[in-house]
Parts: sequence; C-alpha cells; structure tokens
Amino acid sequence: MASPSEDVSPPDSPASDGSGTMPSPGRVDGSPAIARRQSEDRLDAGNDDEDEDPEEEGEETAPREDDDDEEDEEDDDEEEITGHRRKRRRERRNQFLDVEAEVDEDEDENEDDEDELNELKDNFIADTHPDDLADLPVGGETDDRRHRELDRRREMEASLDAEKQAEILRQRYAKIRTGRALGDSAVVPKRLLLPSVDDPSIWAVRCKEGKEREAVFAIMKRIEERMGTKEELAITSAFERGGTHSTMKGFIYVEAQRQADIMVALTDLMNVYPRTKMMLVEIKEMPDLLRVTKTPALEPGAYVRLKRPPKYAGDLAQVIDVTDTGLELRVRFVPRLDYGLHEDVNAPTDAFGAKRKRPVAGPRPPQRLFSEVEARKRHSKLLGGGTAGAKSWNYAGDEYVNGYCEKEVKLQTLIVKDVNPTLEEVTRFASGAEDGTENLDLNALAASLKASTANASYLPGDIIEVYEGEQKGVIGKAISVQADIVTMAVSEGDLKGQTIEVPVKGLRKRFRNGDHVKVIGGSRFRDEVGMVVKISEDRVTLLSDHGNTEITVFSKDLREASDSGGSGTLGKFELWDLVQLDPSTVACIVKVDRESLVVLDQNNQTRTVMPSQISNKLEKRRHAVATDRNGNEIRLDETVKENGGEARSGKIIHIHRAYLFLRNPSQNENAGVFVTRTTAVSSVAAKGAVTASTGPDLTSMNPAMKRNPATGGDMAPPKSFGRDRSIGQTVTIRKGPYKGLLGIVKEATDSNARVELHTKNKTVNVSKDDLAFKDKLTGQEFNPNSRGGFGGGRGGATPRGRGGLGSATPGGWDGGRTPGAAGGVERTPAWGARTPAVANGGRTPAWKSSGDNAGGRTPGWADGSRTVNPYDGSRTSYGGGNRTPAWSSGAKTPAYGMSDAFAAGSKTPGYSGGGNDTWGSKTPAYQQPASNDNWGSNQQQSNNGWGANSYDAPTPGVNMSAPTPAAMNAPTPGAYSAPTPAPYNAPTPAAAPTPAPGWGGGGGGGWGAPTPQAMDAPTPGAQQGYYAAPTPGAYGAMPETPAANWQDDNQPRYTDN
Amino acid sequence: MTENFVPPGQHRNLRACMVCSIVMTQSRFLKEGCPNCEDFLHLQGNQDALYDCTSQVFEGLIALADPSKSWVAKWQRLDGYVKGVYATKVSGQLPDEVVAVMEDEARIRYIPRDGSATEAD
Repeated sequence: MASPSEDVSPPDSPASDGSGTMPSPGRVDGSPAIARRQSEDRLDAGNDDEDEDPEEEGEETAPREDDDDEEDEEDDDEEEITGHRRKRRRERRNQFLDVEAEVDEDEDENEDDEDELNELKDNFIADTHPDDLADLPVGGETDDRRHRELDRRREMEASLDAEKQAEILRQRYAKIRTGRALGDSAVVPKRLLLPSVDDPSIWAVRCKEGKEREAVFAIMKRIEERMGTKEELAITSAFERGGTHSTMKGFIYVEAQRQADIMVALTDLMNVYPRTKMMLVEIKEMPDLLRVTKTPALEPGAYVRLKRPPKYAGDLAQVIDVTDTGLELRVRFVPRLDYGLHEDVNAPTDAFGAKRKRPVAGPRPPQRLFSEVEARKRHSKLLGGGTAGAKSWNYAGDEYVNGYCEKEVKLQTLIVKDVNPTLEEVTRFASGAEDGTENLDLNALAASLKASTANASYLPGDIIEVYEGEQKGVIGKAISVQADIVTMAVSEGDLKGQTIEVPVKGLRKRFRNGDHVKVIGGSRFRDEVGMVVKISEDRVTLLSDHGNTEITVFSKDLREASDSGGSGTLGKFELWDLVQLDPSTVACIVKVDRESLVVLDQNNQTRTVMPSQISNKLEKRRHAVATDRNGNEIRLDETVKENGGEARSGKIIHIHRAYLFLRNPSQNENAGVFVTRTTAVSSVAAKGAVTASTGPDLTSMNPAMKRNPATGGDMAPPKSFGRDRSIGQTVTIRKGPYKGLLGIVKEATDSNARVELHTKNKTVNVSKDDLAFKDKLTGQEFNPNSRGGFGGGRGGATPRGRGGLGSATPGGWDGGRTPGAAGGVERTPAWGARTPAVANGGRTPAWKSSGDNAGGRTPGWADGSRTVNPYDGSRTSYGGGNRTPAWSSGAKTPAYGMSDAFAAGSKTPGYSGGGNDTWGSKTPAYQQPASNDNWGSNQQQSNNGWGANSYDAPTPGVNMSAPTPAAMNAPTPGAYSAPTPAPYNAPTPAAAPTPAPGWGGGGGGGWGAPTPQAMDAPTPGAQQGYYAAPTPGAYGAMPETPAANWQDDNQPRYTDN
Repeated sequence: MTENFVPPGQHRNLRACMVCSIVMTQSRFLKEGCPNCEDFLHLQGNQDALYDCTSQVFEGLIALADPSKSWVAKWQRLDGYVKGVYATKVSGQLPDEVVAVMEDEARIRYIPRDGSATEAD
C-alpha cells in the first residue's frame, strides 16, 4: 500500500508543525490526519459504537467546532492536492461506515467530526496501541500536538461569551429535562406515524348515544383502578368522537392488541355494549378516526346563533369581538324586551328583594331594537348609564348599544355551524348609514353561509362550478345529488365529458349575465324572478322582472327560472282562476306572469302577487247560483248586465258570495274581467242563449225556458227533475265486461248509471243504454222511460193529424189558449163538456209528452184537441213551437206547418204569428212570469209556492166559483200548463207511463186514466206547481171571465216586455 | 388511584390544555398544573394562565392507558406524556407570547390542537 510510504514523510512534519503557531503548509499539516487515519483504520472495527455517539453530540457542539472544521477542510484540501490519499482513506473507511454519508454535505461535517474524534482517540490510543507506536516513528511528538490543539480549543471556548455558552449548554441538556420531548415528535411528519400492523388494533364498540364522554371517563377510571393489579387492563387507549352532529356518535373506539382485552376492559361498564357486534377498524381508516377539522375562527362580523338564554335561543347574533383564545366573544343581537309589560308584580321576592325568576309564560317578546323610552316607562330604575350621544345604555344588567344588546358570551353557548342566516334576519343587523341606506356586510354574511351546506340545494340539471379544492374551476351540470355529494358531468375544461363527484361544500351554482333566474331558498326575495345583471364571486345581482329593482342574493339561492312564461299557467294557477288571498279576500287572476300573478280582487283592486302569497285556489263551483237584482237566478256563464254605472255586461265566470266576476272579451282592461255585486246586475239573456245554434235560437226566446234556466240548453234531453227514475231499479247489464250481471242502480246521470252489482260488492259505471231494467218483484223487463216514449211516439203521430185540424181552426186558439179564461165565459159549457176529456186527456198527454219529449207532448194536446179542434190545434202548435222539444224532436214540426204563426215567429210564434192578440198576450204571459211579479217572481223563485197556490187556488177556487169547475180546472191546466210546463216537466211527465196505455187505447177514455197518473207521476212538486200554478193562478184570479181579464191585464205587460 | 376520573357532574368544569390536550377539571389544573407542560406553561395556581392556555371547548376524549404502546398516542403526539384523558381537538389559540416562550425556552414546537395543524399535513 502507498500509505506506508507516505506515512514516512510525516515524521518531518511534526517537527515543523511543532510550534503549532506556524502557518501550516498542507503537507506538514496533513501528517496528523494521516496518523489519525491509520489508527482509525485499525481501530474502526472496534470503535464503531463510540463513533456514533459523539457524532450526535457533534451537532450541538457545532459552533465550537467551526474553527476546527476550517482546519480540517484545509487538511482535506491539502489531501486532495496530494492525490489519492483521501480517496484511499475513504475507501477504507467505507467498509465500516454508511456510504450515504458521502453524498451529503453534512457528511463532510461528520467526517470532520469523526476526524476530530478520531484525533482524540488517536491520542488516546497512541499511547497504548503498539501498532501505532510502530507506525509512527515520532509518536511522542504527535501526542504533544494533540495536547496543544486541545488547549487551543479550550481557549476558544473560553473566549465565547457566557451567554453563548449557556445557550449551548441548554441546547445540549434541555431535552433531557422534559424526557421524551414534544419537540421531537413535532418534527416527525404525520405520514411517518401512520399505523402499521404492529400497532394495536382499534375496535369500535357500541355505546349509548350521548354517553360517550362518560364512557371514556369510566374506562379511565377502570384503567387506573386496576393498574398494578393482576387484572390490569390490557387496552392501550379508548376514545370517542361523539357530538350531536358527529357521524361517529354512538360508538367508542378501543385500542388494544387483542379483542379479548377489550371484552375484559368493558364488561359491566355502563352505557357501553361490548357484547354487541364489535367492529375492527381497518388500519388505513385509523387516522380518519382521529381526524380533526378546524372550526373556522370567528371573525368580527360573522353571524352565530345563540343557544342561551332560552329567550334568545336560535336568534341570530353578530360577532363584534373575539378574544385571543377565540373562546369568548362579544356579540350583539336584537333584544326581545317587554320592558316589564308582562311582569308578575306579585312574584315572591327573595331575601335580597329581587324578584324570583319565574319561567316566562307565553310567547317571548318579539325582536325589537332597544327603546330607551319604553324602558323608562316602567323600569327607569333599571336603566342607567345612557348618554344620548353614545346611544349606549345599561338596562336590567345588559348593555344596549345602538338598540342592540351586546354581550360577552362563551363559544360553547353559541351555534357556530350551519347558521344559515336569512337575508331577512341579517338585514336587522344592517348598519344603517347616515343617509338611511342600509349597508349590509355581505362578506361577513358570505363567510357565515359558506361553511353551511345544509341550505344549499342542488338539483340535477343545475349548472355548477367547483370553486374550492383540487377540482377548482371545473364547471358542469349536476346529475344527481346525494346528501353532500353532487355528481356532475363536466362540461368544460380538461375533465370534459367525465363524471365526477364533488362535495357540496366546494360548489356553487353558476350563472351568466342575462340568465333568467328565480330566487329560491331562504331569502326575503324568495320567488322573485329576474335577469342576472352582475355576478361577483357567489353574489349575484339581478334585475327583478317586476318593479325593476335590483336585488342581490347568493347564487346558491338562485335557480334558473323555468322556461319563459306565456303558457297562461303558473303552477296550479291559471288565468281566470279564482283564488283566495286571505280569509276575506278573493281575487280573479287576470294576468299570469312568469313568476307572478296579477289578480283583481273583490274590491276591484288589481295587485300583483306571487304564487306563494296565494293561500288557496278556489275551484269553480259549477252550480253556484245567485240572484240578480230582480231576483232572477243567475249562474255561471250567463250574461248579465250592470244596472247603472257603465252598464257593462259580461259573462259570469265566478260567483263568490255576493260578488260576481264577469268577463267581457271586448274589454281590454284586466283581461276583460271586472267585478261587481250580484245586486247590481240583471240577467239579460236566457241560459240557452249561450249555446249558439244555427238559425234563430228559439230556446233563448222561449219564455218557458226562462222559467227554469237550470235545464239544459235544448229540450232534447228530457231532463228529469229530482231523482233519476232509474235509481234504485234492478237492472241487468246488456253489454260490456259486466254483461249479464244483475245489479241495482245507485246513482245515475243522464247517460250513465252506477250499478251496484249483486254478484260482487262493486259498483260499476255503465251507460244507461246498456241496461235492461227489471221489475223488482216480477223480474220482468221494462223500460222506465219507455212509457213516455210510447206516448211520445203516438203523440207525435196523432198530433200531426190533429195539428192539421187545429191549424185549420186557429180561431180556436183564443179559446184554447186561455181556455180557462175564454172558455170560462163563453165556452165553459163546451169546455165543461169536454173538459173532462180534455182536461184529462190534454193534460196527461201533455205531461207525458213532455216527459217523453216533444213528441209526447204535442200529441197530448192533440188529444185534447180532439175534442176541440181549434183548441188542440192551437195547443199543439203552441206546445210544439214553444217547447223546443217539440221542435227538436221534429215530430212537432207539423205543428209548425199547422200554424203559420209559429213558423214565422220562432219562439212564441203563436203569438206573433197567430196574430191573435189574446194569444200574443198569453204567450207573453208566460214570459211575464219571469219579469212580472205575479208570475215571474213566484215562479222562478219558488215553484213550490206556485205549486201550492196554484194547486190550492185552482182546484178549490175554480171549482167553487166556476160553474163548471171541472171544466175549468181541467182545461186550463191542460192548455196553459201544457205548453209551458211541458218543456220543464218533460221529464216528469215521462212518468206518464200510465197515459201510455191510455194512448195506446187511443180513446178518450184512455185519457181519463192517464191524466191522474201523469199528475201524480211528475212527483216534482215544482212541476206540478207549475202546472197547476199557471192555470190556477189565472183561474183563481179571475174565476169567471178570466179570458177578459187576462187579456187586459196581460197585454200591456207583454208589450212592455 | 383514580385521579383522572371525573364524575359526569363535573364534566362542565373540564378544561383541556391547548398544548398537550390533556383534559382535567379546572380545579385540578389550578392545583397541580398541567402534568406535561407545567415547565413552561406554569398553570399551577395561576388563574390567568389557566384561562389563556386551557380551553373549555374540546371534543373527542381519549382515555390513554399506555402512551408508549398506543398508536393513538403516537398519532396524537401524546407519546411521552402521562396517562390520562386527552382530547382529540382543543379549540382556542394559545396566546402568542406563550408560544414564544415555549418555543424559545422549552425548545418545543407548538402544534395547535384545534385542527389547523392536521390540515397542513
């Protein structure tokens, strides 16, 4: 090896180096190093341990060594100059030392340290080791040099000032004092602390919710109790992560090597259930158990909620100051004071004269800013410290500044998370500026809101943006929302096309200027709709659609407004709907905006409301009935006209109590809707007028129709009044899925019946056409309507012929018409003779006919007419013409033909056409009822009244007075009533069944029979009343010469009409 | 010896040291000081220091039976401390001057226990 040869030269160096003061040429200085190296080489193996320890110490003694380092470095430099020495040395040492050390700069230091230490060793060893002595020819000199170096070092140390020394010493020993140092662990990064398989396992053990803390303390107690005993617990720790909002509540976690240890530790502990399923926590999940998230520090201006005192529980408060520790805060809130208004004066006082507190009964006072004036009223004693300028008061132990109550509270008495202040609440804290404008610190608000996710609602379809976290800036559309996780399809950026899941926390909704949005959520602008005009951060300013005011809300409270309006509906509200605004106000929707409605209320005021302001929608009541100023019935869809005022007319679209909402399409204002009272309008058209038909609308002119507007438009359907005849009938079903089944009709409409099946407990809807009616007792099939039908058919036929006759002798009309009247005087006898027949016959048939329909009727007359042609004829025509049914049925038509008058005059052709004044008057007479007090009022308002009267009147009165009472009664009714009632009664008459047979018989005799039945059949008192009424009325009034009277009286009236 | 046990009725008087997170009653802190940090916090008999350096707001109690073997202790950097009840999270901030003293004199790096440190990891 080369070293020995080199080693040879050093011997000189000690000599030159001897003084130690000389600037040492490398060569000379190098020698000690070499010596060291040699010794080291030899000793390395044995001294490794020793080497390590001093090394550690080395760091701390660094300052002291600096000088040495320099020296050493010089040495090194020298060595490098001299060639391979250093290399060699290192190689050799590498056998024993960590190679890594070479890489680092520190390594130099270490080396140097080592060198230095080795030096010491060298010195140490040099004396003892024979090899060294052998290698170093001038060993003694070397020793000497070491000594001198040491001296030098000491000198240097001494020269350092005391302070530094102290520092060094402390550094060296400080750690030792605290034993296992906190400082140490602080340096170790958490990732190096992750659990390994060697660490104890953690089990989750069920625990009573809310008792976690107690459980942990109980475990602690047991640990300590058994410590040092033979049953010492083997668990290493136990912990809980409870808390009201924690997801880990209901568990405690126990750390132990073996599960059995846990069982031992936890048995018989209160509130802990180790025997239920214990769950082992996976190693990788262990750190999560102990995860701690920082509660955001509260800054002045932030919002919190108070938990205590109860009076203010839940109230919003604003932080105005925070102590250093962040545990105590000064907050302000709007006080709830009643200033002793509800104070219990008699409350017992305790020894100190203070009123003992009693739980506050009843609702707490509303939030109102502090009022000094109020406080003075009752509690001037409690008020103090106020200066008007500072606006600061002490009242009842609390401090009030600017109207707010200010208080020092502890953090634990506050709700800090999920505060969710509404803008409404927050505006109470808006610091009012001098000019009265409100200055709302939206930043503070945003801070309070940001952390809370509870309020943020995302719906699939929302355009959202991630503003926090790794995915910051990602924009996409929400696909689904589950709890706090939103799945979004990214629509922009690198991740485009991907679907990612993001926590709600870092999300906000994204809008663009110009978007049409609606305010949702808990702001006071809720339901406002507007266009986005400005976006800054998550605050969006929008221009409200109505009012054109700018409002600023958080983007989370916005949602893209559904497609532009115009559909005429908003939610469940439609144009022209009647809605309830408050218990006493209803309104009709006259305009539907995108998000609001314009309504016209009952007081004729128009206002704009939001759907949320509407308490209820009032369904249209189809059968609502009111009376106009004349006492006439008015119903939906009828046209009425205002009396006086602007005399507006319109169709009734709503009837609400005494108010009518009318619509006149020709009016622009309020979509043609206006409101009026029922007492201010009069009906201008008959109900039938609504349904337009080709040709002259006879029904609307038909006075008879006016009598009972409730009937359907045309006479076509023989409306039955009152109870449907088919109800209660036993039927079989002839068609459809229920074919052949037997049942009972429970309910019926014109066309359908609900049949309760015998076979199973079910009620089905069946068309009446598909029913076969069975006699309950005999089981024989019959058609409840068939009789009428029969009669009808016949009537139809007969009448024609007769009609002809009748027409031929129109003159007969007069008589026929007011038969009672005319007949009364002149014909009476004739009548009388006839009467029976006529009366009966005419009547019944009439009834029947009406019942059946037109057909039936006319014929009825015709029958009657038989006896007296003119009479009949007139009748027929009359009946036919008037009674739409006749018309419609077509059967009647002949009647028309028969009497020109009819044909000509659509309605009461008889009148006009007939040219008979009397008649004309008559017809009107019918109408009169409507308008005339006598007739109209009575008739319309209450049929019964009429019925009663008429009944009574006619029979007795007539009979009594009239010479030929029978005649009187009979005819009149027949004539009169027939026409009018027919239409009405039509159904009833149907009852006529009996007549049918009569008809069949064709003979007058037959008639006789029918009549009574007809009468009876009609059940409806009303109808009967009608029938009877007219006649009787007429008769009764003028028993003897009714005709004359009638005509006289009536004519003028008619003309009036 | 059950010195670390606190009956439920006393739980409202518990405080946690903001440095080592040990949980004890206020009176015990006052009487004995913090068993781990007394050298530099000097809580014993010092009400003000007590208020400054301990917090009533803490959560997640840990009953530590064997600080040297427990991983929980290691993770919470409680190894080397005494047995007892500790908290996972202690809200509140140690006053700056206390932190300064601690780091300068005791050469201990202060790790906040309120969750702010963990987030950095």
